[in-house]
Amino acid sequence: MKKDVWHIGGHELTSRFFIGTGLFPSPYVQKEAIRESGAEVLTFAIRRINLASTEDDSILQHVEGESFQYLPNTSGASTAEEAVRIARLARASGLSDWIKVEISANERTLLPDPLETLKATEILVKEGFTVLPYTSDDPILCKRLEEAGAAAVMPGAAPIGTGLGILNPYNISLIVEEAKVPIIVDAGLGSVSDVAQAMELGVSGVLMNTPVAKAKDPVGMARAMRLAIEAGRLSYLSGRISKKRYASASSGHEQFIVK
Amino acid sequence: MQLIINGEAKELDATTIQDVVVHFGLEGRPLVVEADGEIVAKEQWPDIEVRPLMKIELVHFVGGG
Repeated sequence: MKKDVWHIGGHELTSRFFIGTGLFPSPYVQKEAIRESGAEVLTFAIRRINLASTEDDSILQHVEGESFQYLPNTSGASTAEEAVRIARLARASGLSDWIKVEISANERTLLPDPLETLKATEILVKEGFTVLPYTSDDPILCKRLEEAGAAAVMPGAAPIGTGLGILNPYNISLIVEEAKVPIIVDAGLGSVSDVAQAMELGVSGVLMNTPVAKAKDPVGMARAMRLAIEAGRLSYLSGRISKKRYASASSGHEQFIVK
Repeated sequence: MQLIINGEAKELDATTIQDVVVHFGLEGRPLVVEADGEIVAKEQWPDIEVRPLMKIELVHFVGGG
């Protein structure tokens, strides 16, 4: 079978799993979970260094020596201006020019602000970033982000960290149908069934953090999610049957013994 | 000199950005410095002088999704 690779901003990817690096019970568990996930892209956040603590809480010390594509996010931003500032700080690290635009205007839902997200995407694309906006699952908005130059578009399945799964599979499938850039379902997934469903809808990849990091066994769950991605992807490529209202027998009706 | 570092007023003996980084024991750690809204590249740390009440941000990557 031909190798099933895909591309973002000229970068070839084999894995379809983007994994977040927050909330893991320990750096060791995180490292093992990342290994089991097979992920090539890791997400991070940018924060102030805690000057009161002498301990190095930078995430990078735990993933050093391995070659990952880094995808910093702009979490904490509530406007395009703030997101652009965080993106510039992230790029100044010299580690990556990829940026996940994440702009929340509501603390309870953390749902993305679509207008600010579009505005930030336009600015950052002009500044030469590889921009992956996290956005709501609106097909028209996703198209607008693509037209603004997003390298991939990342609609949410459900609010961040909820594990509610894909609340609107119809929208996700429409977004995929219309897209000319990779679509990555980001946020809200909870289980392998959610992940398999996302991949069956034809998305190019999924981004997860909480469902792995907060699982009882994050390493086991990372592997389960990896397998679900592979299964869902293969199912999508193989073409599922259409749904029917009534039964159709597997062996035909012509030569029944009892008739 | 009084500087506003990561949002807090700090009194410290520093002439350059490099001095600030050293003061907090952050040499060699992966961090990015912003001074009064402008990013200061690492090569410039010894050359950029701090001034009273300068707003300095010392940031780094932490876990996130």
